[in-house]
Amino acid sequence: MRILSFTFVLCLLAAISYGQKEPQKKIKPKRTDNYIRMKGIRLGADITRPFQDLWTKGNRYGSEFSADMELWPNLFPVFESGFEVMKIKTSYIDYKSSGSYSRIGVDYNFLQAENKNDKNIFYVGLRYGFVLAKQQLNSYTIDSYWAPTTGRFGNQNYFAHWGEFLVGIKGEIVHNFYMGWTIRGKIKLNNKDLGIPPTYFIPGYGKAEKGFNMDFTYSVYYNLPWDFRKSIDRKKDAVGVSAKGTVTKKTATQKTPIKK
Amino acid sequence: MPTFTPFKKTNRRMKRVVYLIFFLIAAVACKEVFEAPPQALLKATLLNSSTKKSLSTVVTARGIGLDSLLYKDSTLTVLILPMSPNNKSSFLVSFDSISDTITFTHKDSLEYASMETGFYNEYKLQSINFTKNRIDSIQITDSLVTKTWHENIKLYLRPLPSGSN
Repeated sequence: MRILSFTFVLCLLAAISYGQKEPQKKIKPKRTDNYIRMKGIRLGADITRPFQDLWTKGNRYGSEFSADMELWPNLFPVFESGFEVMKIKTSYIDYKSSGSYSRIGVDYNFLQAENKNDKNIFYVGLRYGFVLAKQQLNSYTIDSYWAPTTGRFGNQNYFAHWGEFLVGIKGEIVHNFYMGWTIRGKIKLNNKDLGIPPTYFIPGYGKAEKGFNMDFTYSVYYNLPWDFRKSIDRKKDAVGVSAKGTVTKKTATQKTPIKK
Repeated sequence: MPTFTPFKKTNRRMKRVVYLIFFLIAAVACKEVFEAPPQALLKATLLNSSTKKSLSTVVTARGIGLDSLLYKDSTLTVLILPMSPNNKSSFLVSFDSISDTITFTHKDSLEYASMETGFYNEYKLQSINFTKNRIDSIQITDSLVTKTWHENIKLYLRPLPSGSN
């Protein structure tokens, strides 16, 4: 676990040093890229979620998808949703937890664009996450000199929510195709107290007994090349033209009786 | 017409960082080891009933109704006994070949250690019945038998008559 924490600290340092490589940009008083570079919605899939059991205890897997768009220059509202399962099966316990989670939040890019085609971003973000999940303890065994005893607990449903802060990168690899990673710190806000057994795992968050969890994601994205602003502008123009036409008609009809 | 953006400096840097992260994760991903749940065991200190001092005796012990021995001719000053999950635990214990039976009546409670290790039982002693062949008396010092093994009872044994082993 120490090594894992060290890894995340290392990544965080790498991310920070990445942002410090071009100091002349930092001293610029105002951003010169106050324009929207990424048109349309960007859809993503986190490719690390199915392989989480590589770095977590137990069999943890899932899938996660995201959608974000540059609604304002350098500001990206984000929606993430996923499903996660955690299974632990040992000689003493058979546990399963699963649930669908969602996160909403916003990313702010502070990598200044060199031109309008430069869509790479280095960003910090905030998220609010929540989940409806269930856990079940199919069996437990207590080994004893006398005789082993077994038992089970039925389904337990619970709600949990948490906050996240993150730092990450998204780079356009091929036209409209992006790849990127994030390092996330997750702070638990609340989860339902179930008694015995307590909530062990919160899908989308991690171990429930910890008030703070670190996580890492690596995603691939596709930017749907649909410029919704252009469509809106076109619609507006169309409405404006038809509105003008109506006004002209009205004045024409109003003027007619006067002429009579 | 869509234009292909070539790999840029930033992408190359990003890739390097990602490779590094994956390498480190692969390095720390080792085989999972799940520990066994803890056990709550009763600890009895053996004392000389005359001097009230610690006593070393040769002990053989087993649970009544079971064949497997807990101790076989072991020289001990402290006896560690597992409780039964059925509210009553009876033992046949011989101290220097003089046998006694001890029956503990207790309340059991299910405790959660962790989802990685499992559950265990803790016990609260309610009464102790025993024969008095070698045992003089038993004093309960802490009725709670927990996973932190600590003295629960003091077991006072009569000293052996002089000349015997």
